[in-house]
Amino acid sequence: MMMSDDDDDDDDDDDDDGGGGGGGIDLTKSRMLTFSKTYKSSRFMEATTMTDNVFDFKSQPRASSASDSGGSEDGNEGDTDQLTPLTICTDLPNNMSPNPPRTPKSPKIGSSLKKRHRAPGSHKPEGTRVLHTHGRRTLYTAGRPPWYNKEGQLKNAFVIGLCGGSASGKTTVARKIIEYLDVPWVSLLSMDSFYKVLNEEQHKRAEANEYDFDHPDAFDFDLVISTLKRLKEGKSVNVPIYNFATHSREKQMKTIYGANVVIFEGIMAFANPELLKVMDMKVFVDTDSDICLARRLRRDIAERGRDPQGVLKQYMKFVKPSFEHYIEPYMQSADIIVPKGGENDVAINLIVLHVHNQLQARGFKLRNKQAQASHNGQPMPDTLHILEKTPQINGIHSFIRDKNTSRDEFIFYSKRLMRLLFENALSMLPFKDTVVETPQGIFYDGRKTSVKRIVGVSILRAGETMEQALCEVCKDVSVGKILIQTNMDTGEPELHYIRLPKDIKDQYIFLLDATVATGAAAMMAIRVLLDHDVPEEKIFLCSLLMAESGVQTVAYAFPKVKIVTTAVDKEVNDKFHILPGIGNFGDRYFGTDFAE
Amino acid sequence: MDPDVIPLYKGVNECKIGTGGTQDDTKTLIMDGTDDTYVDQNDFGSNFIRMRLTDGVRELQTVIRDKSTPRNDFIFYADRLIRLVVEEGLNKLPYRKCDVVTPTGQVYEGLRYEKGNCGVSIVRSGEAMEQGLRDCCRSIRIGKILIQSDDDTHDARVVYANLPKDINQRKVLLMYPIMCTGNTVAKALEILQMNNVKEENIILLNLFCTPQSANQLVTKFPGMTILTTEVHPVAPGHFGQKYFGTD
Repeated sequence: MMMSDDDDDDDDDDDDDGGGGGGGIDLTKSRMLTFSKTYKSSRFMEATTMTDNVFDFKSQPRASSASDSGGSEDGNEGDTDQLTPLTICTDLPNNMSPNPPRTPKSPKIGSSLKKRHRAPGSHKPEGTRVLHTHGRRTLYTAGRPPWYNKEGQLKNAFVIGLCGGSASGKTTVARKIIEYLDVPWVSLLSMDSFYKVLNEEQHKRAEANEYDFDHPDAFDFDLVISTLKRLKEGKSVNVPIYNFATHSREKQMKTIYGANVVIFEGIMAFANPELLKVMDMKVFVDTDSDICLARRLRRDIAERGRDPQGVLKQYMKFVKPSFEHYIEPYMQSADIIVPKGGENDVAINLIVLHVHNQLQARGFKLRNKQAQASHNGQPMPDTLHILEKTPQINGIHSFIRDKNTSRDEFIFYSKRLMRLLFENALSMLPFKDTVVETPQGIFYDGRKTSVKRIVGVSILRAGETMEQALCEVCKDVSVGKILIQTNMDTGEPELHYIRLPKDIKDQYIFLLDATVATGAAAMMAIRVLLDHDVPEEKIFLCSLLMAESGVQTVAYAFPKVKIVTTAVDKEVNDKFHILPGIGNFGDRYFGTDFAE
Repeated sequence: MDPDVIPLYKGVNECKIGTGGTQDDTKTLIMDGTDDTYVDQNDFGSNFIRMRLTDGVRELQTVIRDKSTPRNDFIFYADRLIRLVVEEGLNKLPYRKCDVVTPTGQVYEGLRYEKGNCGVSIVRSGEAMEQGLRDCCRSIRIGKILIQSDDDTHDARVVYANLPKDINQRKVLLMYPIMCTGNTVAKALEILQMNNVKEENIILLNLFCTPQSANQLVTKFPGMTILTTEVHPVAPGHFGQKYFGTD
């Protein structure tokens, strides 16, 4: 069940778009593959974070397509070009062959959708792709390590700009960089997504092959710049999905979030000075125009049944002039010029080496720092709210902390505690005075919260245990999830999965985690929420038990986040367990602790 | 018919007729029905406890009192308030210190509650609170007392009582959400006392009460602990009917 059409793009790589079709590599589209035994640890994990919508796309007919040469080609299902962060894992012994067998493309989506008439120039491999990296290196997990420092501040992603003529091999270069980089969380952004929406008259011209898609004016550069800037800052972005049939943008957007490395590619990638400033590294793929033309001829004739005359005409009329006017002159902006495109392994290896060094310099090792960060003697922050330690609270804690407590009682008492926790947290929302009429005929001066909706976001796995208690006190609450796991080798938290409600930035967020020791996972989760434009003051971190160091770390990094808990313990031991603590909450709750 | 003794109030003034009517505090109420900013400044002694009034609790009270609240919301919010009162009430039960060892091998200084408690609900509205108690104490014994008022004389009369046999050995959580005159609870206390339950062992869990009912009870039963969320001259007398859907 290894991908079927996933590989299919490979032979198309060389072409590439002048902006063409929807292709782009879609690295992500991740799918869980089952590998045969030989591929031991590899796995292609779903790293697409994103809000829900991402997943709808697969089912959408592809609108785009085509591209150049009159749009023949493909139709394979719809995905969109850009990429979502991807996680590559490696260790694949082979399978690296640049040209895996091509699986037939599915013809299902018919030609009706595809036509995009424009100059030859591009065509984009479509379909989902799976990229595998070379086997020698082993990448242990697919999670995303921290992308912020211990103050919670973002480090910028590394942005690689990739420019080159149509069919010059940009896509291949991008793919190889991604493979060799071996860094999880790489996003590929294609300029194709940023074509301008055409008005009716332009649309007609496009139909008649009269609209010049190879001109800088065809792109919405403002949007490109703002999108790339946000991506670089680590924020989540919504990338338009361009429909090449209607030359308009689809209603849905594709959300890209979370990249350590962003590769931005397009024929006009260097055409705007402001855009150039965003890029940390500019690569120009310079392939001899004869070769480009040869590829185009071969492909269009052999695969698309076009006649040589037409292909040549298109090339001469649109693609070639565009290259000479708008692409080639920008070669001087490049830091690196890669001749021979994707076949140039030496150049690609150099690029990768440089990026690796850059990433290393930006690396974060937070957890120990956080655990050791001495906040000793500092007063607890104002944002911390601990439930009053009544005999009941103390009594419930006695039950759930006792190592001899049965699971039944553990669950029962922790749920009681959670309910009290949420009642307390709800009281901290903004309230306003209100007057209501009573059945007794008097008016009553009361208070009501002005918050319409609350979103619970649980940090898997222990945080999920709190969802039910939240639903019990909060009607119509929606629940998002974030999976953060500790990498056993590095001790660092890693982000593996995230699914959040779409309109999350307008809501109050209850971030749920049963216990907070060093605060590493909580910090990562808060960072994710901030990256999705949730204002810091609208985040409530709700937990049953925290360690002082966790409280201090979170409060120091995010001074406006409200912290609500039922108890704060003094210490964290060298295994990051809270002392005296409660043990592993998730294990005890779900019964996965077989230790004793 | 509604077993609650309290008649349904159409207006506010009827409430003043209750036994506590002579108290000064009722004068603080402005009776015009439009702007009744009532500040509860009564002092009913140390055994009369008001729950801490957070914004969350205020909201629950507001929704319960609002006549435009749909019934399902009413139940949802009433249950939340009941749960908070029950949790608070459990704090009044006896416990002893008890250290436990956590899975990390460390000692946590905790406590254990003593056995020997029970709940008693006054039918019907008191039964609305049973589930809240049950949710906190899964196997607690619960007795019931049914008190009805005589149609003519309005005297409270005990119709039915079924209590745990050894109730005199137990702490009793008496549940009754709305008190206007306090007559019903006073009658229930008589039953409990007939069963040799000491005043000191009774904790009354209440949501809304009037100053006069509070006054009556603290006067007649000074040893009883009373826990409420609000003292207000006008009690939400529709509680039982709306909760059980018999309005």
